[in-house]
Formats: sequence, C-alpha cells, structure tokens
Amino acid sequence: MTLTPGWRRLFRIPRVGRRGIERDVDDELSFHLAMRVEKLRDRGVPEEIANAEALARFGDASRVRDELLTIDQQFAREARLMDWLDSVRADLRYAIRTLRRSPVFTIVAVLTLAIGIGATSAIFSLVNGILLEPLPYAHPEQLVSFAQSYPEKGLDSWQLSQENLAMYRDGASDFASFAGFARRGVTLGGEHPERLTVERTTGEFFQVLGVAPLLGHTYGNAEDTPRTNSVAVLTYAFWQSHFGGRRDVVGTVLDLDGEPVTVIGVMPRSFAFPRSDTQVYLPLGLDPTRRFGWFLGGVARLAPGVTVEQAHRQTTQIFRRWAADMPQLLPPGIVPERTGLTTLVRPLQSAIVTDVRRPLIVLQAAVLLMLLIAVANVATLQSGRAAGRAREIAVRGALGATRTRVGRQLLTESIVLAILGGVAGAALAWIGVREFTASGIVTLPRLDDVRVDPRVLAFTLLVSLACGVLFGLAPLWHAVGRRATSDIARAQREGSHRGARRVNNVLVVAQLGLSVTLLVAAGLVLESFQHLVRTDLGFDPRGVTAISTPLPMMKYGTNASAVPFTETALRTVRSLPGVRSAAFVQVVPFSGAVNTDGYLIEGHAPPSATGTEKQVVTNVVTPGFFRTLNITLLRGRDFTTADRDGSLPVTIVDETLAREYWPDLNAVGRRMRLTGDTTWLTIVGVARSVRDEDVATPSRPHMYTPIAQQPTTWLTLVVRSDGDATATTDAVRRAIHGIESGIPLDGVRPLTQYVDHALDTRRMTEILLGAFALMAVLLAAVGIYGVMSLYVSNRTREFGIRMAVGAEPSRVVRLVLSEGIALAIVGVVLGVGGALIASRWIGSLLYDVSAHDPLAFTVLPIALGALAVASCVLPARRAAKSDPLVALRAE
Amino acid sequence: MADTESDLLRSSLDLLILKTLSWGPMHGYAISEWIETATDSLCLVEEGTLYPALHRLERRGWITSEWGVSAHNRRAKFYKLSTTGRARLRAESPVWQRNAGAIAAALRRTSSEIA
Repeated sequence: MTLTPGWRRLFRIPRVGRRGIERDVDDELSFHLAMRVEKLRDRGVPEEIANAEALARFGDASRVRDELLTIDQQFAREARLMDWLDSVRADLRYAIRTLRRSPVFTIVAVLTLAIGIGATSAIFSLVNGILLEPLPYAHPEQLVSFAQSYPEKGLDSWQLSQENLAMYRDGASDFASFAGFARRGVTLGGEHPERLTVERTTGEFFQVLGVAPLLGHTYGNAEDTPRTNSVAVLTYAFWQSHFGGRRDVVGTVLDLDGEPVTVIGVMPRSFAFPRSDTQVYLPLGLDPTRRFGWFLGGVARLAPGVTVEQAHRQTTQIFRRWAADMPQLLPPGIVPERTGLTTLVRPLQSAIVTDVRRPLIVLQAAVLLMLLIAVANVATLQSGRAAGRAREIAVRGALGATRTRVGRQLLTESIVLAILGGVAGAALAWIGVREFTASGIVTLPRLDDVRVDPRVLAFTLLVSLACGVLFGLAPLWHAVGRRATSDIARAQREGSHRGARRVNNVLVVAQLGLSVTLLVAAGLVLESFQHLVRTDLGFDPRGVTAISTPLPMMKYGTNASAVPFTETALRTVRSLPGVRSAAFVQVVPFSGAVNTDGYLIEGHAPPSATGTEKQVVTNVVTPGFFRTLNITLLRGRDFTTADRDGSLPVTIVDETLAREYWPDLNAVGRRMRLTGDTTWLTIVGVARSVRDEDVATPSRPHMYTPIAQQPTTWLTLVVRSDGDATATTDAVRRAIHGIESGIPLDGVRPLTQYVDHALDTRRMTEILLGAFALMAVLLAAVGIYGVMSLYVSNRTREFGIRMAVGAEPSRVVRLVLSEGIALAIVGVVLGVGGALIASRWIGSLLYDVSAHDPLAFTVLPIALGALAVASCVLPARRAAKSDPLVALRAE
Repeated sequence: MADTESDLLRSSLDLLILKTLSWGPMHGYAISEWIETATDSLCLVEEGTLYPALHRLERRGWITSEWGVSAHNRRAKFYKLSTTGRARLRAESPVWQRNAGAIAAALRRTSSEIA
C-alpha cells in the first residue's frame, strides 16, 4: 500500500506544547498498530491473536514512544527558537530600514542618548573602580584598617605607637597578621639629591596584604628589630622611573639619608598601599619598648572566620589593659571601662573610600536623572514620529500583523536606537574616563583602578536596554494602546487623541520636574562650593610658594645645628629680588600632616582631674612665618631671633585656644605647657585662627613654638614673592643649594595648590554636578519645546476650525500658553518636591548653605518654569497662524 | 543489538526510508510495509524502530510530515521527502551501492592471494 488517494490536510500548523506532542505520538503509533491488526484480521487471524501479533512485531512500544517524545520535544524547541530568531532578524532589518529613512531623527536621538548614557557610564566606572571593585589584594574581605580612639582626650582616631603595634601583633589572636606603616620623606643621595616618598612599615606588612613581589623578595618579621633599615622594596612606578625596569635591580645599594640600603624586591604594578604615590617601602625597625610617639597607621588581616566585630572586642580589651598600665593616661580613680577607650576596626575598602562614597553616589544619581531627561527627550521625538507613522502602522495592521507583532517591531526599533546610543555612549565614557584619570585634575583614592572594564560595559548595555524599553513605551502607547483600527484615514488624525496627549503631558512634566530637581540640588552644591572657596582660611595662600627643604639627617642629626642654617638661609633668601618675606615652618597648611598634643594652662585644673583633655595642634616656625602667610597677630608679638635656646621659652597661641580661657584674648604673659613636657611656655602672642586641615571645618586650637627652642630638621621654606614666582623660586633654590647642597629641592608647590588639593573631591562634585544639571536643563528645554510643537501641530485642524468660526488668533495663543503654563506649574511643583528630598540626602555635601536655601528653591524653579513657558511661545505663535483652509484640506 | 549492527542498520534504514518516500507521501505503516516487502523483512526486524528513524529524519529536515486522512478514513501522519532529503538520497544511493557491491565481492573471495 502506498499513498492513499484522497488524503487531505487536516492541520497546517504542528501541534505545540507537551500535550500536543504526546497526543500526536500516541495517535501515530496506535494508527500503525490498528492498521497491522486490521491486515492480520483480513487474513483471517482471530482478533486476540492479531492484537498480540501486531504488538510483538512492533517491538518495545513504550520505549519507542519515549524516544519519539524526546526527539519531538527537542525538535519543537529548535523550531520555536528558529522562528523567534527569524522574527527578530526581520524586526531588526525593518528597524534599521526605518531608522535609515529618517536620518535626522536617528542622529539626534543617538546623540542625545550617547550623552546621557556616556555620562552615566563614565560616572559608573568611577563608582565601579573605587567603590565596587574589590581591593587588588588576596582575600580583600579579610583586610581591616586599625586605629585607636580616646574621645575624652579629643583623640577620635589615635594612631599606634610602636609599643601598641607590638601588643596587637602579639596579643590579638583574631588577626592572622598585623602591621603598621608611617609615611616619611627620605633623601636619595647622589649628584642631585632627591626627596622620596617612603612608607616605613613593620615586618608583617606584605603578609597582611598578601601580595607577592614581582622581583626578588620582601622583608618580614626578622626586620622588626630596632634600627634595622638596610633593605628596601621598590614600587613598580619607582622601579620604572629610576631603574628603567631593569631586572637586575635587586642587590643595588641606594643612599637613603646617607645610609646604604640594599634593594631586595620590586612590587607588582597594582600594588599601591596605602597610597599610590609611594616610591619605596622600608622596614620601620620596630622597637616595642617605645611607649610614646603615636604615628603608625594600622592594617591587619582577620584570621579566617573572625568577624570585624569580634576583632574589635578583642583588641579593645587589649587596648584597655594597656591604658590601665599607662601612667597618667587615665584620670586618677577612673578605670578604662568607664571611658570611651576603644579600637577602630573597619573593613579596609570602606575605610579607604569613606570620603568619596557619598559624592560618587550623588553624582551617579544626578547623572541618572540627566539620563532620564534624555530618555524623555527621545520619547518626545518618538511621539512626534508616531503621529506621522500612524498610517503606516494601520496599514500593517490591516495586512494581518497582530498588535503584539507591531508592538514588538516598534520596541525593536527603540532598542536598536538605544543600543546605537549605548555604543556611542560607551565610546564617550571611554574617552572621558581616560582623559579624567590622566589629567590629574583631582586625586581620588583608587583612581588607578578606574577604567571602562567589562563590568562597566555590561552596565552600559543594561542601561541602554532599559532606556530603549522606556522611550519605546511612548510609540507603543500611540500605536498599540488604542484599538487597532482598520480605518486608515482616521489613523492619521489619531495623533491628537487623548492618549497621545496624556503621554506628551507626562513627558513635559517629567522633563521639567527632573531638571528642576537636578538644578536645585546642583545649585545647592555649587553655592556650597562658592562659600568654601571664599571661606576665610585665616591666612592668604596666594603668592606663597612652599619649598620642601629636608635637612640631611647625618649632618643635622642633632637638630640644634638646623638653627644656624635657617638663620643663614632666611637672611640670604629675604635679600633676593622679588622676595617679600620668607620663613621656615615644620608643617605646611593642608599638607595632610598634623601634630597634636595634650596641654595644660597654668592656673587651670589639670585635665586629668576632670577626665577630659583637649588636644592642641602644634607647629614649629621661624620668625616671619605669620607675616609670610598673612596671619594677623591679634595680640603680642611675633617670634624674633632673640627667642633662642636658653632664653625664656615662648609660644604663640591662636584665637581659638585663647578665646577658651581668656575671652578678651588677653593671653600674653600667661603660661602653658604640653602634657609630656615639664617646661612652661610663656605666651607672647595671639594669632588669628587658621584653617589648615579642612576648609569646611572650623580650626582646632593651635600653638606655635620657635624653631630655635624646638629644633627640627623637617622643614619647609615658605616664600611670599612679588611678580614672577617661578623666577623667584629658581633664585631661592640656587641660594639654598649654595648654603647646603645635600638638600633635595624637588618639592616646590604654590601654597594655593595645597588648598586646592584639599578641595579636590568637592571640586569634582561641583564641576560634574553643575555640568550634568546644565546638560539636563538644555535637554529639557529642547524636549519641552519639542512636545509643545507637537501639541500644536497635532491640533492644527482644531485651531483652524476655531479661527474659521471666528476665534481671535490671540485666543488661540492664550489657549496654547495656558496649557503650557499648567504643565509647567505641575512640573515645577513636582521638581521642587523632588529637590526637597534630594537636598536632605545630599546634606553632608553642603557647606554654609541650608538644605532649604530659599535662593536655590525659588529662583531656579521659577527660572526653569519660565523657560518651559517660553518654549511654548513659538509653537503658540505658529498655532495662531493656522490657516483654516490648509488645516481642513490636510484631511 | 550490537553497536556495529545498529549503526549499520540505522544508516541503511535512513536510506531506505528516503527511497520509500521518493514514491510519494506515505504514513508510517505504509513505509514499514514497503520496506518489509522490498527487503524480505530483513531490515525491519521490529517495526517500532522505524518511527524514531522517521522523527529523526524529520528533525534533520530531510523529510516533512503532515497530518492527513488515510484510505480507511483514519487520522494518520504522512511523511514526505523534502528537497534536501531528495538530494541526500541521490547522493547516498550510489555510494551505498558501491560500498555494498565492494564488500559483497570481497566476502565472496575464496583466496588470500593478491591478484
């Protein structure tokens, strides 16, 4: 038997789904068996025997059935996938064809998106590299930063002494390893002595971070013995810059501060702890018997399974036991448990980025708002097109395309647009990030880890897709949201129908609202920054150059011999042309370093009796310091060369300290001393308070002592010059070298740079936020203008009829404007609401500006509202010119 | 069934199915009948093994199927040779014939000499 004549088709489309496949297989197999039985019966075989025979000849029917099901299900899956891919391909082809047909729209939309997505991705690469990317060390989640705290003494974050370090290293079992580090400058000897940035660390430093050297080896616990500093480990950057990456550098002997130091290893490029400008690591030569001098930062690796909280508890116990044994640390009769003595154990990553976390998140939020405005903008463009495409879509519907099919096609178009925008945006982000990180405009922690990496690209893709779906909703609403109509002619008029208008209203309100929010928030931050920049620091950094002049340790080791040097140097420098005044100072304002100590005022109760002690910032200066920095002396006199070793020990205090004890500032003649010292210092002057740590926080109490009575070799020359600072600086450097050739003079920076540097993060936030807000306003203005134009052109017919029946053109203008004004009011009100929420959230970024600053909250929203109304004027004018005849003929 | 036998049988069964369908669309039962007759019941020891082969060929795109109504007015699944299946049949048959002929000739030889 072959083909049965007269067979006909039952189904065109194969059954789908598990059920359908099962039924088909069963039908097919039972058909076979039935046919076989029938044939056997025809030959006269009895019914039961025929059944058994048919089954026997068939074989294992259930196994065959299973096999068929497996094959068919796979087949069905493949078929579905192929179908889907085919339709996607068709949609893509169609989308690309459509976009190519309207190049202006495509270019404008892609550019708008590229700006929004590019900025979003660029900021995300900062967030990613700085906040999200794990530190490049082994098991970074085990790393913690470590410090101590004694709030009653004003020591909120108290660094470690060598004794402290040894006691945690040896006594805290919760740490697998524990190390301390301290930044120092050392002089690399040679023909041109050079100042190096060195990190002196204890032995377990490299073990804590768990990074193997690139070359050679690192030092370890064996180096934790006093006065061991004959080996050095180089950073990758220093190795490259000073040894050209030569692999035989291990074994080289360097002259550091006059001592021979052998290079034993080089760290890999990614190693940048605690800061990326470190050049050399040297062993500290830990001396656990040193009780005083709290200058070590702590870093530790938690033992496996130990939590930060556990380590905090254990180390606090150790710390308190130590405090109880420390003479005169605690007030008499007070046990450590009654004080706030505690250790500070924090995950290393969050400790490193703590200052920039908030600004970065705010920027990311701001740029996302800007992106939303860009999306609304493209949605407006899409809406404009949707009206024009109503006919095309109606035709497609009439030709049999289902609503989902048309919807998918439109969405594909939006997504293609979004991905084009995303690709352009990723390129913009890549360029932006590269320029930004290379420019050195700002110094952020972990800036080296910022790049457009796969995660940033994945983020960009996701954001692009989300954008595509978002602005793809607008045309969907237009095309699919209404009943598919077969009335093609009517479809052309549908642009003005209610749904479309609602979409446009939402777009106007959203764009205006978002830009008001962003602009007000940016306004607050900008105003804060202006206040910060104009903050009276108490000194004038302009025109002052700071020249770091570390004296060679060997020659000036006794410190006292530094005094004649300073006197000779100042005499020479002051006589140079262009120099108005000059002085030496131990700690330059905003250099990041600060020395503090506890103090006693004569006649006031010793602090230990009251339980709390205040800290004073100490600094050592030469005569002329206050004049050079333009710090006003409110009372008394400056130091003179007569204040020297052997004469009356003197000090100058600042207004903040003086005010506390002598509200009328009559402090001259009073005496004070530092807690660790028994010498009473007579106050000879009161200087204005100086902000030298953070522009945004009021200054702490300061006291200055003359270098002749407190010798140091750690000196910086500050020079105030007239006119050309560079020429003057060169002359100064030559003069200094003439006096002492062993001083590396490469650390020359204008004092303003130190101040600027302190404002880096804030400046970055201000510039970027301002730029985003400006961009947002621009986009929103264009978008609102677009929507209003659309609104008018969609109602051309209506306006035409109105005027045909006698409406004045001015009435039509009023109609359009009143619509625009209503939308503007809603948008501004919502925007102000958003700004109120945003301003509370950015509170910590504000300085000297209320979170409800009336200026920002009235002027900016009103200005934006006015801008929105203004962008309705042109379309309104056009509406008034609607020619009734043209409008009607257009139908 | 040993592996070698099943491989050999499967490929010959595939070819036989294609050959059968070259006469025109047929349902599974008709195909089995035809193969049985044409090969003296040698290639289709169990009729059930035909069906996985059919479905696999369909998945490969060499044959297509459609539901129709048989001569006895029953709902039946009809298989039809596709264009690729036809090309396949045309390409495979001579190869198969050559190989089968060569193997048969070799098996008929009675001497180990190389002529």
